[in-house]
Amino acid sequence: MKTKIFVSGASGFIGRKLCIALADQGYQVHALCRKLDHPYLIQHENVQFFVGDILDKESLRHAMRGCEQVYHTAALAKMWCKNKDDFYQVNVIGTRNLLESAVQLNVKRIVYTSTCGVWGPTFKHPMVESDPRIAGFPIDYERTKYLAELEVNTYVQNGLDVVIVNPSRVFGEGPITDSNTVSKMVKGYLKGSWRVIPGSGENVANYAFLDDVVAGHMAAMVYGKSGDRYILGGEDISFNQFFETLGNVSHQHKKMIRVSQKLIKFFSHIELLKTKITGLAPFFLPEFADRLKYDQKYSSHKAITQLNYRITPFAEGLERTVHYIQKNISA
Amino acid sequence: MKNLTALITGASEGLGKAFAFELAGRDIDLILVALPNSGLPKLANFIRVNFNIKVTYFEYDLTQAENCSAILAQLKEKQITADLLINNAGLGNWSWFEEKDIFFYKKQIDLNITSTVLLTRLFLDQVDKSIPSYILNVGSLGGRFVVPRKLVYGATKSFISYFTRCLQLEQSGTNVHVSLLSPGGINTKAELLVLNHTLKGLAKATILEPEQVAKTAIDGLFKGKKEIVPGQMNRLLVTFDMLLPTFIKELIIKRKLTMNLNPQH
Repeated sequence: MKTKIFVSGASGFIGRKLCIALADQGYQVHALCRKLDHPYLIQHENVQFFVGDILDKESLRHAMRGCEQVYHTAALAKMWCKNKDDFYQVNVIGTRNLLESAVQLNVKRIVYTSTCGVWGPTFKHPMVESDPRIAGFPIDYERTKYLAELEVNTYVQNGLDVVIVNPSRVFGEGPITDSNTVSKMVKGYLKGSWRVIPGSGENVANYAFLDDVVAGHMAAMVYGKSGDRYILGGEDISFNQFFETLGNVSHQHKKMIRVSQKLIKFFSHIELLKTKITGLAPFFLPEFADRLKYDQKYSSHKAITQLNYRITPFAEGLERTVHYIQKNISA
Repeated sequence: MKNLTALITGASEGLGKAFAFELAGRDIDLILVALPNSGLPKLANFIRVNFNIKVTYFEYDLTQAENCSAILAQLKEKQITADLLINNAGLGNWSWFEEKDIFFYKKQIDLNITSTVLLTRLFLDQVDKSIPSYILNVGSLGGRFVVPRKLVYGATKSFISYFTRCLQLEQSGTNVHVSLLSPGGINTKAELLVLNHTLKGLAKATILEPEQVAKTAIDGLFKGKKEIVPGQMNRLLVTFDMLLPTFIKELIIKRKLTMNLNPQH
């Protein structure tokens, strides 16, 4: 019998592709999902779905029973949600529940999906794993993912075998989920509804291709050191380079409008007010507008040398993403 | 022109670290002080790599008076003069008086009060009074209100406030500029991130990010402000402090008191 592997977040952008990759290698995948009729769930003979929730310990244990390995990709990775406490519940308490269940069921090894958001903004050089955070945690997602890492550290100190991976801004072939901001931008660009470049466009972020990130997860399970963190990133790309590349690979060059960070910040305050009054989801929030003043550059050097992590060239990854969106996602 | 040099205590985490980045961004050389094993060498190296400034560090426990003298003596040996002193190191707590032992309170007073006084005294010995120099003492907005479970901490911050205001008078007309920083809550340590996450409304609006506080503080310090209160909501609180009915102030404090930690008494 092939090894049984538990995956949380099976309907998520990373979790979904990870299930496919594991199932293709012949592993028996126990995939946790909140409902069976979720449109992003995959069909594969080696994937067995378990309805449950990381906030429901009983359902976690049921799905995890008999599994040797665990991938914990489930998280609340939105910019905003109506009840702020959901971020803490899902990302911190959910992670604690999962680790507790893993201890009870004698799981051999866990790979926990964190984020480069635990470092967030960067100065001159790309961040490496041992670098400090340079700012506070105004963004709910980043703060709760950081607190979840502290939960993981506590369990590692008590002997649980957990490897942490920190993907940067992940993009690639997959459904447009809440966390998949790159595909949202690409789709908007192709449709002509996204015409904005923030600030001067010099702002740099790190873009990780989904297939690389999935392979990085699986390599972390094999080669990762317990308690260590591994940045799974890609190329550092400015907004200007991003849209130039997007124009090239899609053969659609569109005139973009540059909007200053100050104007975006002003606009975000109006959005916040709108959200407070109406309860509707904001398009953009002030803490994200502030982030546009910084770069977000990360080095995958450690993963490359220790996990044989590979980076797909940004243009190649973006081209495949564009084709996927053109083929699979209707406007 | 030669860079200015700033000495920051409690520089490894939280507000102290934010001061380090803020000053580094203004091309000010740094002398960082923090406890041993707090990651200071790594932080110093990170700043050196990312900014074009000199960084010196001391892994010392400032509750030992001789360590204050040792820092200034070693700086003299290295021919480094500090132009700015940021007395930031402090020990806080959130507990009923009888929950902590005498050693904790001794340590808290030694760090919050004694080290600030000693370092300020030693700093003034070495500055060149013909050029401007700056002292920033970190107090607390809490020092203005009576807050149970912060009783010794609040009292040390009241000391800092009194000490700073007197020093300002003594140094007025000289090149030594002294500012008092009176911040409200700051999102620094993990416990505070969890605690502050649960706050709502007015209480939430008084909580700031460390980099915001650091920027406002350094701006105010160079402008020669006597007291710096970061955050619009906090400034409003101070302005209306006298006008605000006592019951509203008590409401804010009680709200903090009833948060998820259970009282023992």
